[in-house]
Amino acid sequence: MIKSVVSHGIYIPFLRITREEYINTLGSCNADIKEKAVMDIDEDVLTMAVEAARNASTEIDISQIGVLTLASATFPYAERVMTGTIIQALGLNKNILTSQHGNSTLAGTEAFLSALGLMEETEAKYALVIISDAPAAEASSDMDHGFGAAACAFVLAKAEPGLRFEGTYAYSDEVPGLRYRLPGDKGVRDIGVRSYSAMAHDDTMQASVQELFNKMHRTPGDYQHVVLHQTSQKTAGALAKKLGFSDGQIKIGLVYDQFGDTGSCSPFIGLCHVLENAGKGAKIMICSYSPGSGSHALSFDYDNQFPDSSKKLQYFLNHKKYISYIHYLKIKKVI
Amino acid sequence: MGAHISIPMYQRAVSQKYRMLAQKCLHCGKVNFPPKAVCKYCLTGSKFEHIQLSGRGKIYSHTIIAGGGAPPEFAAEASCKGSYPVVLVELEEGPKVIAQLVNPLDREISVGMPVTAVFRKIYEEEGVIRYGFKFMPAPVS
Ligand SMILES: [Zn+2]
Repeated sequence: MIKSVVSHGIYIPFLRITREEYINTLGSCNADIKEKAVMDIDEDVLTMAVEAARNASTEIDISQIGVLTLASATFPYAERVMTGTIIQALGLNKNILTSQHGNSTLAGTEAFLSALGLMEETEAKYALVIISDAPAAEASSDMDHGFGAAACAFVLAKAEPGLRFEGTYAYSDEVPGLRYRLPGDKGVRDIGVRSYSAMAHDDTMQASVQELFNKMHRTPGDYQHVVLHQTSQKTAGALAKKLGFSDGQIKIGLVYDQFGDTGSCSPFIGLCHVLENAGKGAKIMICSYSPGSGSHALSFDYDNQFPDSSKKLQYFLNHKKYISYIHYLKIKKVI
Repeated sequence: MGAHISIPMYQRAVSQKYRMLAQKCLHCGKVNFPPKAVCKYCLTGSKFEHIQLSGRGKIYSHTIIAGGGAPPEFAAEASCKGSYPVVLVELEEGPKVIAQLVNPLDREISVGMPVTAVFRKIYEEEGVIRYGFKFMPAPVS
């Protein structure tokens, strides 16, 4: 059965901190951000998820949603049903199929792929996929500098034109010591061996992208837009080049330097920007990555453009307030 | 949003707190929010239909809660923000509600300013997060 994304919604927190602010206060900034999004003290990934989902479902009859999948590596509870929070906040039917995906930054593509499968089990027309994430590390850790926050949501439909899902390729391997979080810890840590981490990053994503090409008999030139997982502006750009993509193919989807590392949301927030700019008939590929390591590459055909959303990525790029590093530490409850 | 509402009591009101589910009086047609056992307008109607409020409204009145003036459940928020605005909003559908205003813009908060509801954490106690609505200045289209 043909399944397509028929609408999308974004939420980016209002607060931002700039690279300059890091340099002025700490003397350096470990991340190649220009600025990054910061959740306010009364936000968490569930509040962001609700806002993104509301933005995605303004034109949709929500009583027709039969599947809800929710993804985050940074849920506010380590154990609890959280799809119920979303169901109440949106007023969805309480008897829909749900799944929660966490524990790694692959959660986003996992939730997306799960929704495609769960749609087979319901008569209802739509599935709602919400990905919301705000990676965190101790304030004293350099890893924290690039960690941002964002949410996005997608409504999937059966047999309707939109962003048609074409296929996927998944790849996982055992690569210990990279970006892991122990039970009870608030932030992630890493053994900090750069060459080891860079090799895992490139090899894992290369494996899923190359094999998706092989499976679908495609080449890099067949895609108008490619969005790779973004843990840094530079490494995402360099890997794209290595895989045979040009600057033009990755430019619109590369948004790391505006919002920071948005975890499992990373390839999807870039996808949202692509959807707001791509022409009809464009072929689009996205690729997620999680240290540990795993990657999912997904291929799409944009056979019908979405209705104009009032809250495009551009709105969130303009709608913001800069905070000081001291304010940032207060939000992180360090001071 | 008074202090120390028990969790079971809070749970019974999640639809109104999370998505502003209101009730329309079948006798006089007025919208009651928060919901009532007997309509507060005609004092007669006790049968209602649920309606979903838009979350849009205009500031009817406003104030700033200074750091020291915050109730204990908002202490963490007050210490982070220094002070925070609270607004009385007249909703499109008629009812007036009190809530915090988030993302205040640089320009002054003023009576008549359009606002829209957002989903936020209200406070946290014993590790249980109480979610609910606040308002933010409506996006200028
Ligand atoms: Zn009445």
